[in-house]
Amino acid sequence: MNRRPSPILEHGIVAAAGPLLVFSLYLLFAGHNQPGGGFAGGLVAGVVVVLGWSAGGPEAVSRIIAVRSSALLGAGLVVAALTGFASLLTGSGYLESTSWELAIPLIGKVKATSALAFDVGVYLVVVGMSLGLVQALGEETPADEEAT
Amino acid sequence: MVYLLLLHVALAFGLVAARSRIGRWPFLVGAVGPLAVVVWALSRAAAVLDGAPHHETVEWVPSLDLVFEFRVDAYALLFLLVIGVAGTAIFLYSARYFESSPRAAAFAGTMTAFAGSMVGVVSTDHLLALFVFWELTTITSYLLIGYADHSAQARAAALHAALVTGGGGLAMLGGLVLLGNEAGSLSISQIVANPPAASGAVTLAWGLVLAGAVTKSAQFPFHGWLPGAMAAPTPASAFLHSATMVKAGIFLIGRLAPAAVASTGWWQGAVMSIGFATMVIGGWRALRQHDLKLLLAFGTVSQLGFLFLLVGAGTVELLFGGLALLAAHALFKAALFMVVGTVDHEAGTRDLRRLSGLRKSMPAVFWTGTAAAASMAAVPLTYGFVAKEAAFDGLASNGMFLIAAAAVASILTVAYTGRFLLGAFGPHWEGHDPAGENAQTPRNALLWAPLGLAGAGLVLGVAPGIIKPLVAGATAAVFPGEIPGKLVVWPGWVAALAWSLASLSVGALLVWRRALLERATDAVGRVAAHFPTADGSYRRAVAGLVRFADRSSSLIQNGSLPTYLAVITLVAVLLPSSALAGGLGGFELPRAGGLLEVIVGVVIAVSAVAIVFTKRRFAAVILLGGVGYGTAGMFAVLGAPDLSLTQLLVETLVIALFAFVLRHLPSTFTESSTPRTPRVVVAIAVAVFVFVGGILTGAARSGRPVSDQYLADSVPEAGGANVVNVILVDFRGFDTLGEITVLVAATLGAAGLVLPIVRRREMDKT
Repeated sequence: MNRRPSPILEHGIVAAAGPLLVFSLYLLFAGHNQPGGGFAGGLVAGVVVVLGWSAGGPEAVSRIIAVRSSALLGAGLVVAALTGFASLLTGSGYLESTSWELAIPLIGKVKATSALAFDVGVYLVVVGMSLGLVQALGEETPADEEAT
Repeated sequence: MVYLLLLHVALAFGLVAARSRIGRWPFLVGAVGPLAVVVWALSRAAAVLDGAPHHETVEWVPSLDLVFEFRVDAYALLFLLVIGVAGTAIFLYSARYFESSPRAAAFAGTMTAFAGSMVGVVSTDHLLALFVFWELTTITSYLLIGYADHSAQARAAALHAALVTGGGGLAMLGGLVLLGNEAGSLSISQIVANPPAASGAVTLAWGLVLAGAVTKSAQFPFHGWLPGAMAAPTPASAFLHSATMVKAGIFLIGRLAPAAVASTGWWQGAVMSIGFATMVIGGWRALRQHDLKLLLAFGTVSQLGFLFLLVGAGTVELLFGGLALLAAHALFKAALFMVVGTVDHEAGTRDLRRLSGLRKSMPAVFWTGTAAAASMAAVPLTYGFVAKEAAFDGLASNGMFLIAAAAVASILTVAYTGRFLLGAFGPHWEGHDPAGENAQTPRNALLWAPLGLAGAGLVLGVAPGIIKPLVAGATAAVFPGEIPGKLVVWPGWVAALAWSLASLSVGALLVWRRALLERATDAVGRVAAHFPTADGSYRRAVAGLVRFADRSSSLIQNGSLPTYLAVITLVAVLLPSSALAGGLGGFELPRAGGLLEVIVGVVIAVSAVAIVFTKRRFAAVILLGGVGYGTAGMFAVLGAPDLSLTQLLVETLVIALFAFVLRHLPSTFTESSTPRTPRVVVAIAVAVFVFVGGILTGAARSGRPVSDQYLADSVPEAGGANVVNVILVDFRGFDTLGEITVLVAATLGAAGLVLPIVRRREMDKT
């Protein structure tokens, strides 16, 4: 089938997708202190989606991220908006971040900020956007169909 | 007061929600609302009439100075009582008038909401709250008039009323804001106490407020909506046109007239001419109606013109007469509407040419109608006569012309009253099928409710002392001091009596020789048909508006992408340009960069120029990517790794998406149909603007950059070392929330645009 130029490329990309998504999560979590953040992390994941789509079409993408784009968009927006209320509970203003030092066994001291949860929301929205746009715009064209 | 309003809200929602579950009770439940108003008003009456207005303040958002302020003085008390008494009678009447149905419950709820809005209008002391209640009456009246939503005529009438009164309401809002601004207070009582000094803005403000009152009270030339509103079920008409809706405008100008007279020179003349025109036109049109309800509607227009003139003139004598007449009008007009409703209900028609023999078949209804009509025609020993004497007495002290004008209107009133009585209860006309000979006198609220109101008119006619303190107190609330007017059964031999009796007898003469009158009005009507009517002007105005919207939108929304782009970019360029031009004098060019910056800059520039000259779409996208990656490189060189990273990723994603889209398009650019020169001009203008604007705004900084503060606060305040991220998720977190919302909306929009095309293609395939 013309849509799949090379099984090697397709499987290679699907295999590489895992580490790349981990990298995108790294950017998300590192973002508060180093370059990165939810937006950049989400874009990396978005690029993975594009790669998957060009190599193997919708099937490949669904093997990389098996969630509907609308679910990601909605969840992201809800998470981001609700985080703002979390900081209200601690007495600060809407979306003003608060941080806690947590001691997790085996890992050690971890600093958690409410801003991270907000960033997770941004991440989800950006991934959802990439997925949604790729799905909408990547549909087969008449020319593709003639070629098959 | 607040509880009273909340009661109405609760009743309204409860009734709409209850639907058919409460059977025939919805109107009886709804009647609790106006009844509570009456009880409340009477319980406060003693103190309020003593000159101690009832105050109530409920804080809503104290930090924004948003409070609900209520102030019920004797003037408001009079209106509250009118609303409450007429409302109670009409609700009880409705319980028998309507078949029990879910829609009837919703109607009862809407009527309660309407009554509550009216209570709000007369009791608030805040200009903006007044506007809110005012528009609530517009909206609820729209629903009431359009109750018969299967009838195109009812829908059109409802829209007519909503457009005219809503438009007037908007004008009024402008006037109220201006007025509050000029007077330095939004409190009605303070504006009346210290009216703003005359100025251009104040004149405009009063003009706009007057426009609001004129439309609401169906004054010339906006009276057309009121007869149209007869499409409403009769109880709603009775309520809207006797005690509420149209009285809102009267209420407002009566309240504000003294202040308006103090700060303008033209108010009195304008109000009097409008009122005079309205009362003559209304009376005249009433003489030519065949539908009893329409006859009463035009009669209402005429009476409102008279009230408008009296109450709005801003003098104490006229206000006294006007308020006395206002109470009379509410009593007899509500009763008459209900009589028509009963006739319609029992005889099946309201056409006065067909109704026949009702005097015999429904004697009780006949006597009720006669009592109310006598009050309308101001026959001695009715309250209508007492009130009209007070009004004429006031007019007599204001010159000959006014009283003569009022007498003309009174003659017309007597004439259409006769037409009403003879039409409803006299024999049918020749050439028309008789109807109603077998009608039965209803032995329930269909009779008792109008009978109660008409009876009240008779009682007050012989004992006006009962209502005198209320009317005098209401007048004193607007004009503090001695009240000259009097309400008496027999005024003695004064000028006013002569005018009154003269108009009564001329009117009676017209009724006696009604065949002659009919021929005369027909003849004049043929001539008058050439003049524009209020209804026709409204239709033409609406049609003109639609045509204008059609033309302007086909001009602006012409579907050409180059035009849209040109308009958007040119507006974006031209508006700030004028401000930027001021900075052209002194600025310094940014410092020259290092070698690396120059190299990246050249890459960007070459790619950008090449885009313009390439013929292939895909090459253009790659070159555009070159610009984007170059920009990412520039960010990196300038020491912004975050921006650089994000720009890089965005660019990659965008190129991929472009590639997806380009598969659907021809591989080379097609020649555009728009000429080249304007496109080049627009492009160059945008480029120059961005370039010059960038340099100028960069050089225009005068304060300390906000970034210093962000850098300093980043770690201690937000616990993050990456200041860009901290800005995004914390300092400007709200902006980010807005941005991701836009992302979601844009994604859904793009998918919504593309997916239907894809689906259609798939459908075609199968």
